[in-house]
Formats: sequence, C-alpha cells, structure tokens
Amino acid sequence: MRRIYESNALHRDDEEAHAPSKKERKTKLQALRSVPSSTLSDFLIPRRFRHLPVSVDVETPDDEYETGEPIPFRVTLRNRLPVPISIPTRSPLLWRWTVDGNVEAAEVSVRDPPDEEGQLSFDRGERKEFRKRWDQLFRVSESEWEPAAAGTHTIGVAINATDAEERGLTDETTVRIVP
Amino acid sequence: MSLLEVKDLTVRFYTQEGVVTAVDDLSYRIERGEKFGVVGESGAGKSVTALSVLRLIESPGQIESGEILFKGENLLEMSESEIRSIRGNEISMIFQDAQTALNPVYTVGGQIAEAIEHHMDYSSEEAKARTIQLLDRVGIPEAEERFSDYPHEFSGGMQQRAIIAMALSCDPDLIVADEPTTALDVTIEAQILDELTELADEFDTSIQLITHDLGVIAEICDRVMVMYAGKPVEKAPVEELYYDPKHPYTVGLMSSIPRVNDKRERLQTIPGVMPDLVELPSGCSFHPRCPFAEEKCTRTEPSLTDVESGEEATLDTEHSAACLEYTEGLSQGLTYSVETTGPADGAAAQYVEGDRDE
Repeated sequence: MRRIYESNALHRDDEEAHAPSKKERKTKLQALRSVPSSTLSDFLIPRRFRHLPVSVDVETPDDEYETGEPIPFRVTLRNRLPVPISIPTRSPLLWRWTVDGNVEAAEVSVRDPPDEEGQLSFDRGERKEFRKRWDQLFRVSESEWEPAAAGTHTIGVAINATDAEERGLTDETTVRIVP
Repeated sequence: MSLLEVKDLTVRFYTQEGVVTAVDDLSYRIERGEKFGVVGESGAGKSVTALSVLRLIESPGQIESGEILFKGENLLEMSESEIRSIRGNEISMIFQDAQTALNPVYTVGGQIAEAIEHHMDYSSEEAKARTIQLLDRVGIPEAEERFSDYPHEFSGGMQQRAIIAMALSCDPDLIVADEPTTALDVTIEAQILDELTELADEFDTSIQLITHDLGVIAEICDRVMVMYAGKPVEKAPVEELYYDPKHPYTVGLMSSIPRVNDKRERLQTIPGVMPDLVELPSGCSFHPRCPFAEEKCTRTEPSLTDVESGEEATLDTEHSAACLEYTEGLSQGLTYSVETTGPADGAAAQYVEGDRDE
C-alpha cells in the first residue's frame, strides 16, 4: 500500500511556513511504547539515586525591583536522564517556593497538606517550567498581608522530598527591592 | 434540623503547578423543599461544591476539612457503601452534560430502571413501569417505545430530560443540579426549568441549582449564594440579591445581563478574568477587577459579614457579603445605584447599574 508521504498528494516545501517540510526525521523515535517505562524505571532505579539526574532552578528576569512592583520568577525542574524518573515527596504538595524561608511568602501556615506520600514524576528528559509571581507582600495572618521592606530578599524553591537540600533538590536566588 | 448543612468546607487539588484551592471555607444551609442557587463565573468552585456534597471529588482533589451534614449525619464520615446508598437515592445529581452523563452502550430506560431497582428494591417489571411513567412525566413522547432507545437516539433536550427523570427516580430529598440547562437552547431551557420546579414542588424536593445564569436563579430559587474564586462573596434571599446587591461582584454580574429595554449603548462587563486559583491575589480575591477597590483591599481579606450588623456571618444570617465596606468601611464607599424598571413584583424585572447616576 502506498503511503501518503510516498505520493505527491501533499505539497511539501522547506521554505513555505505552512507547508510540511521535505526533511526526513533524522533521529529514530526512542520511546518503546509497549514498555511501561515509568513503572520499569521505578522498579529498576533505587529511591536513593532518583534525585541525582533532577535539577532545580529558580530565576528572576531582573535583580532589582522597585517597591510594589510584582516580582516574576521562573522555576525549572529538569530530568537529565533519557528515562522517566519519579521522586517520592513527603506530601501531595510536590514542590514549594519560599521568600526568606516563608512558604509562598506566608509567615503563617495557610494550608495543611494531607499526611500521605506524593510523587513528582518526570518523563524522559522532561523539563517542567512554572511561572510564578511575588507581589512583594508577606501574609502575616489568615487574612492580613504586609508589604516587604526594601532590601535583599531570597526566593527559594525546593522539591518537597526528604533531605531536599542535601540532595540538591533546592535552589535560590536573591532580589533587591529598592524604594 | 436543616436538610443539608455544609460547614467550613475546603477542597484542594494538589497539582504539579501548585495547590488549587477550589473551595475555601464554604458554609451554607439548605432547608427542606428549598431551592438554593449557587451562581458565579466558570472556575468559581460551583461544580466542585456540588461534587463534594456527593463525595465525588477524585484525585488529585481532596476534601481537606469541613462537615457536610445531611439530615444531621456527616457524609464525610460515612463508609463507601453508606454513601452509595445515599447517592442517587436521597441525594441525586443532574449533570451539566447529559450526553456524557448517560452511558452510550446501555439503553436510556435501562439506566434509569437500574437505579430504581437498586435503591427501591423494585422488580425489573415494576422498575420499567416506573421508568416509563417518569419519562412520560418529564415530557418524553411515546415513553414506552423510547424506553429501549440508546442515548444517541435522543436529542440533547431529551437526554437532559432523561437525566432529570433519573434524578427524580428514587424520590430524592435533595437534587443537586449542576448547570442543567447550559447546553440547551432557551426554549428547551425554559421548559426544563418549569418541569424541574413543578416536579420538585410535587415531590417536595430541595434543589441546589448551580448556574452562571442569574435569570435562571431569579426564576427558580428562594435563596442564592454568589461564589468567586472558591469563596462565597454574597448570600441572600433572591429578591434581596436582585434589588439590593451588596457585593461589587454581584453588581458586576447583574449589570452584565443584557436586557431588552436597556438604553445603554454597550453592555457593562466585569473587566479581567477570574484569577488563577493556584495563585490568588492577596487580600480580597476580587480586588484586581473591582472598580471600588482601595489599597486596604489588597492587604486584608474580608470575611463574610452580616450586611446589617457588620458582625461575622453565621448560617442563620439572612443577607451577608464579603466586602471590607461592611466591616472597616471603604473611604470612597460603594457608589453604585440600583434602578428598577417595570413591575416591581418580579425579581427578573429589575435593573442594576454599576457606578452610573441617572
């Protein structure tokens, strides 16, 4: 049976933006769809080694922000291995961000995650990117917020795993708030 | 004792992006025979509230705290078999999308009869007879012949009616109707709402009606709760909510309803969109979209307050709203006016304008 790509039924053009290209795929598909690779990876890679290929990064577009200006930051969690990896977490809360050590810039505990394990799963070579924003406010009680003082503040990110810091599953960056 | 009392209900979804607080500290009460409306934009937490009542929240969602008392018993403490004996029997649900709610490989009649057989211990002949009677009652023509039709052989309106028949099949005490008419055109919508009200009156059933259509609420409900970003922002009897809305969000919803006799050139809408529930704004969640917001609205989260006394609202409070105007007071106040046109005896005949003096 002649396939569609062997016929001339489809107009192909490398220059034209909306036409399919003439180039053939140079790399072979790597996934073996018949193999449950995540389960296999969980079975073969011991828990104590699973953190090794995972990196955590946090970055802000600028180092300095004016008072009251929202501070955007980007969190990148990446699996460098070409096989799926899952990291067990202490609760269903998979990762958290902090400002000066305060989870989600709250000086009070605003939520109490259930007492059960979670799992942060990465596909092979997967990069997870999350964009967050800190409004330069600290939550000081259930219903009150206060503005952050001018000066240097640390935005940190950590995967909610046991010994995250020792295992390199954290990162932090500093920003300066100028009046 | 109230039929249903929901106290301090909090439902969270633990996702990769963060924690979605879909319902936050929600309390309400439904009396026997009462029609209670829940209104709000998409993503306000209305459907999650409804699913929580039937304990149908699935992973990664979790009912984290609160109580759901049905006839005085906490549904959250019941075993799976106990709750299954209540679902579809004492509390039934009309789902938003009838086509998805019906199983495509079973006949419509068979699906309704199954619930009757299971909960009411009817024989299959008795269950079939009752199903035909119910299909006829909800306006399915030639109910006896349509009993063995498959869902794809029914039109959208007929599928919705079949779902209503299923919900009514075991004479429930409470029907949770999650946008029962959203997928239908207005004429069918009116028919179905009439049928629902008639049937609820006939069987003395309470209804928790979830919708984003304030017109539907005005037509059917006795009391209303307006939700925004997972929290209740106003609770009031329906007439009071329409004639005397107290929360800027309710006012915004009212003024965005098109009306035939409207003299305005453009429809007033609420600017912006519902915030991401993973990252709610500080203070009052509505402040980025509120035309009356002041700096204190960004720093303090208002609690649901009795609009008359300014005290924290309880389940008994008649009219409550979550705006700092009713506790600390806003320096500029809430400067909208409500204008009624036409006969004042119907709630739908009124007209609300945000911040416009005429």
